[in-house]
Amino acid sequence: MRHKRKVEAFFVVAWIVLGLFSVWTVFPFFWGAVTSFKSPGEQYSTAFLPFAQFQPSTYAWQVVLGQAEGERTRQGLWNSVLISSLSSLLVLFLGSFAGYALTRFRFRRWKNKDIASWILSNRMFPPIAVAIPFFLIMRTLKLLDTLPAVIMAHTVYNLPLATWLMIDFFRELPEEVEEAALIDGCSPVQAFFRIAFPLSLPGVIAVYILCFIFSWNEFLFVITLSYRKTMTMPVIIAGTLTVRGLDFWKVSALSLLAIAPPVILAALTSRFLIRGLTLGAIKE
Amino acid sequence: MRRDAIKFGFLFPGLLYLMAMAVFPLIWSLTLSFHRWKAATAAPRVFVGFENFWNIFFRDPRFWNSLRFTALYVALVVSIELTLGLLLAYILSERIRFRNFFRVLFLLPMAAPPIAVAFMWRMLLNPDAGIIVKILNALGVNMVRWLTDARFTPFVLMAVDIWEWTPFMFLGLLAAMQSLPISLYDAAQVDGASRGQIFWFVTFPLLLPIMVTLVLLRAIDAFKLFELVFGITGGGPGTSTESLSYYIYTVGFQYFDLGYACALSWVFLCIVLIMANFLLQRLRKEI
Repeated sequence: MRHKRKVEAFFVVAWIVLGLFSVWTVFPFFWGAVTSFKSPGEQYSTAFLPFAQFQPSTYAWQVVLGQAEGERTRQGLWNSVLISSLSSLLVLFLGSFAGYALTRFRFRRWKNKDIASWILSNRMFPPIAVAIPFFLIMRTLKLLDTLPAVIMAHTVYNLPLATWLMIDFFRELPEEVEEAALIDGCSPVQAFFRIAFPLSLPGVIAVYILCFIFSWNEFLFVITLSYRKTMTMPVIIAGTLTVRGLDFWKVSALSLLAIAPPVILAALTSRFLIRGLTLGAIKE
Repeated sequence: MRRDAIKFGFLFPGLLYLMAMAVFPLIWSLTLSFHRWKAATAAPRVFVGFENFWNIFFRDPRFWNSLRFTALYVALVVSIELTLGLLLAYILSERIRFRNFFRVLFLLPMAAPPIAVAFMWRMLLNPDAGIIVKILNALGVNMVRWLTDARFTPFVLMAVDIWEWTPFMFLGLLAAMQSLPISLYDAAQVDGASRGQIFWFVTFPLLLPIMVTLVLLRAIDAFKLFELVFGITGGGPGTSTESLSYYIYTVGFQYFDLGYACALSWVFLCIVLIMANFLLQRLRKEI
């Protein structure tokens, strides 16, 4: 009897803690959403119940998506989509090739593990350390403020992680299928494209989405390599900061636009995300 | 022989890409770090040997200030996130309904662009109109100086980081806890161990290795702190919240003192690589 009561008390505590933590986590997003539907006159008010406390207005969305700044926003969204999807595609090919090489072949001079951890070590260095030489390289190549510059930077930013995770996926794949194919006269290249790659497709897609999210969210490379034509959503958000201060309604609307895609993708791949973020140290 | 060609053919595109886009830029940056090159002026690039490094270590209080702030930030943020994450994971390791829902919910802060997170918090914390300030005022707590008083601002940034990354520790530890063998718990329960005892003597030691890995991951990441500083405080007031990344960014892209910025980058790189080395050794065992 006493034991049962203790267990129930534990569950009550658990739910309270969970509830508080959920409110703490969601509140900034909620507030951003509410603020994006307030008129400039009401942007500083504490009202948070639409219709009951304030009349929702689509003013912010009209500015951000309409005539005034719509072109800029659409350009930013398009740049973000283009940069994230193309750089992740490049990462995926380079990463899965290298990952396959490191799981299915043995390298003699340097051990496979050494190569793999060297590749991963590129993930660790601070982006600012390469931002300056990148800027100079792109300036020399006359590529500043072009899509290739940002795509190249994001590719090198995501490639180590993708390679590392692909090693993990190929390792989980039974080698026997490929071996049988090789005996049947299939070339190693065919074995990769016809068997290993399709079989690890779920992993490949998960890695692609993870890289897409990282690239979408990346800020430092974009702000140092582009100033006008290739601005992505994060840089457009940063651009709303003026000497007059912050227009809450505008920042909210733009932030929501920038937050929605990666968050939706993360929700779809939630099981994989922790594994990706911990570099495969935790497998769910 | 042909097999060799194939295996290198698979490995080399990625490897060469990293050589060209990571190793080469870093080496270039290293050579620049021995030069004085103020790109904002017409002065030519001059080789100066170790002068930049000498200046960093002995004549640059701003570097030491940013290093101190970043180190303090990492230490506090990571330990608080670990503690909170462990607490939450422990509480929720029991069967909880809607677990998948919560897992997705807590992923939100991590998946959102850090710069958007920074600006959202900038709004919430605005001393004139921020909702948090208004709520605290209504409760009788007057803390509006937190973005203008150098004693408080570092902690404001830390709070935002804790908001953003506690779920990382929490979800990581939760996943790790769920993969622990149940038989151990049954054995402990049969032996009459209490809930607290089971946690301290069974769960905690088993989680220790993964905790070290998570802490290293988070510490390396937190060390690169940039977006939150950029979006919330801009390094101020004064230089009280200037992180290393932000300081290097300022020197490189606002003062255009490229030689000095490269030297700073290399000092930063060495610090991070020391930490990364520990992490890599741990992760190597996984593959």
